[in-house]
Amino acid sequence: MAGINRRRLLFGATLLSAFGLSTVASVADTEIYDAKTRKWVKYDRATARKMFARNGQPPEAFRMQMVKFRTAEKPGTIIIDGNQHFLYLVQPGHQAIRYGIGVGREGFGWAGIVRVGRTAEWPTWTPPAEMVARDPNAAKWAGGQPGGPDNPLGARALYLYEGDRDTIYRIHGTPEPWTIGLDVSSGCIRMNNDDIVDLHSRINVGAKVIVLMQGAALYKGV
Amino acid sequence: MPALETSIVLKALAAAALLAAAGCQSSSPEPQQMARTTLQTAPADLQLLCANAVATQTGAASDKVLPVNSRQLDATSFQVELDAAGKRHSCVVDNDGNVKSVT
Repeated sequence: MAGINRRRLLFGATLLSAFGLSTVASVADTEIYDAKTRKWVKYDRATARKMFARNGQPPEAFRMQMVKFRTAEKPGTIIIDGNQHFLYLVQPGHQAIRYGIGVGREGFGWAGIVRVGRTAEWPTWTPPAEMVARDPNAAKWAGGQPGGPDNPLGARALYLYEGDRDTIYRIHGTPEPWTIGLDVSSGCIRMNNDDIVDLHSRINVGAKVIVLMQGAALYKGV
Repeated sequence: MPALETSIVLKALAAAALLAAAGCQSSSPEPQQMARTTLQTAPADLQLLCANAVATQTGAASDKVLPVNSRQLDATSFQVELDAAGKRHSCVVDNDGNVKSVT
């Protein structure tokens, strides 16, 4: 396999962090237009928590909506724009359904072309060995956390494969809906539970998934 | 006549206020565009149009061409850098989805 495996990718990311070299993706700030003040405001964890507490949902831009999308990719293809925090599901007629997403935090972003290998409803979460080693909260679930409202994978999971091999990355729901629009994960793509349930109902196993993320390591040697 | 003049002036002021308000409203982004990043990457669909153009022009398999970088060149166009099975290409595409060049 010509692709970079996850261990190499994480090793590269660790090296970048160790030398103070962050990826371009991590340098970018997300901004939200505040209709009340008519100003663009930085959208970070604190702002996201505050806005979600106030509105009970993510900012309008990160809610599910139909948008114009000019592409030669066939309907059913999933396009992830990690920099802008959008996931597009291509529809006929140069349109797409756009959802808001949370993506990998500094050093954990990636780009590549993969596919949906399988899906699950209320999936069990089993943290990968690297996460168990670095995160005490993950370590207690080394044997697997049963599906449910507190499970980090949320209501549905789409397991991303490269060929027949599980990449360990998933598109999944979350019990933390305020994190949509942020760089928060360990490389997985997270969505609101309502949105992942909707996406899960619309896609087929085998669907092509294109992950765009400027400055991130390539998952595979495309 | 002064009353009429006052009325005209008031109407003119009201119209100006309406126009100003309309101007303010039109300067707000559409709801779907109320989020942005400081990176100013090309929209995803334009990046993929470039990927398709590179695949077509080089004969590379479409699942081997991935946009890896992009930037706004001017008000109407973007430059997209692509990886095609390890080979780098550059593409310029405009806001209307017209691919201007592939190298």
